[in-house]
Amino acid sequence: MSTDIKLDPALPPADNERSAMGRRLSGLGGNAREYGIFGALVLIVLLFQILTDGKLLKPNNVVALFQQNAYVMILAIGMVMVIVAGHIDLSVGSVVAFVGGVVAVSMRDWGLNWVVAVLIGLALGALVGAWQGYWVAYVGVPAFIVTLAGMLIFRGLALVVVSETIAGLPNSFIKIATGSVPNWLGFIGKMDVVTLVIGGLAIAAFAIAQFRARASMRKHALQVEPTGAFVAKIVGVGVAIGFLSVILSMSAGGMPIVLIICGVLIVAYSFLMGRTVFGRHIYAIGGNRPAAALSGVNTKRVDFLIFVNIGLLSGAAAIVTTARTGAALAAAGNGFELDAIAACFIGGAAVTGGIGRISGAIVGALIMGVLNMGLSILSVDPSWQQAIKGLVLLFAVAFDLINKRRAGTS
Amino acid sequence: MIAVGVGDSVHATPTTRGAQDVTTPVPPPPLLSMRGISKNFGAVEALVGVDLDVHAHEVVALVGDNGAGKSTLAKMVAGAITPDTGLIEIDGEPTVIPTPGAAHALGVATVFQDLALCDNLDVTSNLFLGREARVGPLRDDGYMEATARRVLDSLTSRIPSVRSQLSTLSAGQRQTVAIARTLIGDPRLVVLDEPTAALSVAATAEVLTHIERLREMGLGVILISHNMMDVLAVADRIVVLRHGRNNGVFDAATTSHEQILAAITGATSRRQSRMHALR
Repeated sequence: MSTDIKLDPALPPADNERSAMGRRLSGLGGNAREYGIFGALVLIVLLFQILTDGKLLKPNNVVALFQQNAYVMILAIGMVMVIVAGHIDLSVGSVVAFVGGVVAVSMRDWGLNWVVAVLIGLALGALVGAWQGYWVAYVGVPAFIVTLAGMLIFRGLALVVVSETIAGLPNSFIKIATGSVPNWLGFIGKMDVVTLVIGGLAIAAFAIAQFRARASMRKHALQVEPTGAFVAKIVGVGVAIGFLSVILSMSAGGMPIVLIICGVLIVAYSFLMGRTVFGRHIYAIGGNRPAAALSGVNTKRVDFLIFVNIGLLSGAAAIVTTARTGAALAAAGNGFELDAIAACFIGGAAVTGGIGRISGAIVGALIMGVLNMGLSILSVDPSWQQAIKGLVLLFAVAFDLINKRRAGTS
Repeated sequence: MIAVGVGDSVHATPTTRGAQDVTTPVPPPPLLSMRGISKNFGAVEALVGVDLDVHAHEVVALVGDNGAGKSTLAKMVAGAITPDTGLIEIDGEPTVIPTPGAAHALGVATVFQDLALCDNLDVTSNLFLGREARVGPLRDDGYMEATARRVLDSLTSRIPSVRSQLSTLSAGQRQTVAIARTLIGDPRLVVLDEPTAALSVAATAEVLTHIERLREMGLGVILISHNMMDVLAVADRIVVLRHGRNNGVFDAATTSHEQILAAITGATSRRQSRMHALR
C-alpha cells in the first residue's frame, strides 16, 4: 500500500549522512562567534596599548582595570542568565545601592563583624531577587515592569538607609575590593610568585578540563573538534592567562582579590549554564517557553530562581562596590544595570532570549572596561567616552545581526 | 529510567510483541480501547458516544472535517482533556488519563500540531528536554547523545548530526525530531496530530516512513490528518468522525478515496458522483 513512499530517494543510513562537511560546519558555528568576540577584545587592547604608548598594560593599570570592572563582570553573569531566559533586570543598580547601604550600616551602626555583614548583604540580595522573582514567575508581571518598579523601590529604600554617606568601614572589608592576595612565596625579580602559581594552576586546570571533555566525547564516539583547533585553543588561552599573570605579578600588590572572586564565579556559573539540567532549562525557556513547559520544564521555578540568583549576585556586586569606595552612597550603582546589559549584548546575547554565554558577557564587560580605561588614559572627555561606548554597543550588536543574517541565508 | 526504556522500545519490543501475537490463541485486548466517549463544551457536543480501538503494530488514522472532534479525542488520549462519560481501557484495564503526565506514565506520547521544540537548542537537547539524564548533579550528555543517535537511526532519519541546532533543520527534519522525541521514554502508543501539515512532498514521504517504522517497532499509532493520500498510504484502519460521532471504520487496503470522503462529508451518492465528475 505504501510502495510510492518506498520509492522516495534513498533514505540512507544516517551514519553516512553525518558526514565530514556537516560536522565541521556545525562544530565551527558554535565557537566562531565566541572567538570573534575574544578577538575583538584583543584588538581593542592592542589598539589602546599603541595609542597610550604602552600605558594600558602597565601592571598597576591592569589591576585597576579588574578592580574597577569587577562589579560589571559579577552583574553580567547574573544578567546574561536573565537575558537568556528572555527577561531583563533594570533594578540591579538600585539593589547595589540598597544592599551596600545595609551592609555599611550593619558594620558601622550595629557593630557587626565584616564577615557577618557580607553574609547579610548576600542574603538581602537574594531576598530582593526572590521578591522580584515572585512577581515575574508566579504572578506573571513582565520582568521589565517588575524590575523598573524595583529600580524605583530600591533606590528609594537606599536613600532611606543611606541618608548621608556612610564612611569609616573596617579595613578588612575594604580589602575585598582593593586588596591583593598576600605575597606568601616571595618574589622572582619583580614578580610575585603567588600570582604566578595561581596563573599556572589556572592554565593547568583549563587544559585538564579540556582534555577530559575531549576524552569523554571520544568515549561516546562523538565528534570532537579538529586536533589543530583544539591545540590552538589550549595554547591561546594558556598564553593569555600566562601573559596576564606575569603582568599582574609585577603590580604593586600582586593578584587582586576581586579577580579571584570573579574567576571563581565565572567558572562556577559557566559550569551551571553549560553542564547542568538547570542551565539547559534556562536556554530552553528562552528559546520556546510554551514548548519547554509542554516538555515538563518547570518554567515558573526556573524564572524564580534566575531572579533570586541575580539578586544574590547584585548583593555580591554591592559588597565589592561598597568596599572599593570605602563608603556607602545613596547614589551608588547608578547605571550599573546598563553596564551589565551592554556587556551581555556586546558578548553576543540575543535580545529575544535563548542565546548568550557567561564567557561572552565577561568578554563584553572587559571590552567596555578597556574602552573606559584606555579613553581615560588618553584623557578623553567623559561625555565623549559615553558617546563612544554607546556607538561600540550599537556596532557590536549590528555586526552580530548582519553576520547572523548572512549565515542564515547562505 | 529513560535509560533502559529507549533501548527496549527501539530494539526489544517488536520481537516480543510479535512472538505474543503468534503464540496467544485468544487475540490480546487492544492497546487502547475507548467506548462511548462523550464530551460537551458548554452547549456544544464535541463528542457523542465515540468508540476507538488501537492495537499494537497498527496505525489508526483519525479523519474528519474541521470540528469533527478528532483533536478533542486525541487530547483525551494525551491526558489534556478528560471525557464527560465513557470508558478508556489500556491493555483491557479500565483507566483514567487525568493529566499529560499520567498519559506519559501509561506509555502514551503525543506530537502536537504546533511543534513543541526549541529552535536554539540542538537535536539531543530537544529530544530529552524536561527528561534529561543525569549523573549526580550534571547532565549525562554523552549518554543522551548516544541515545539520540540510536533513536534517530531507528527512524532511519536524515538528520545530519544530533548536535545540529534545530534552527538549521528543515521542516521535515524538525518533524522527525518531534516524532523521535516521543520515542524517548518507552512509549507504546504514539498520537500524531497533523504531522504532515505544511510539509513538502519529500518531507511528507519522510514522515510517513517514520510512521511505518513506529508500527514496525510494535507501537500503536493514532494519526490525525486531513490528507487522504497520506492516510491511505500509511494507515491500517481509518476511523471517520462526523459531527462528534463515529461515521464508519474502513480498512485502508480495500477502501477508496471517495468512500472516505463521503463518510467525512456525509455526502449522498448523487453528490458523490458529482464530486467524482469534478476530479
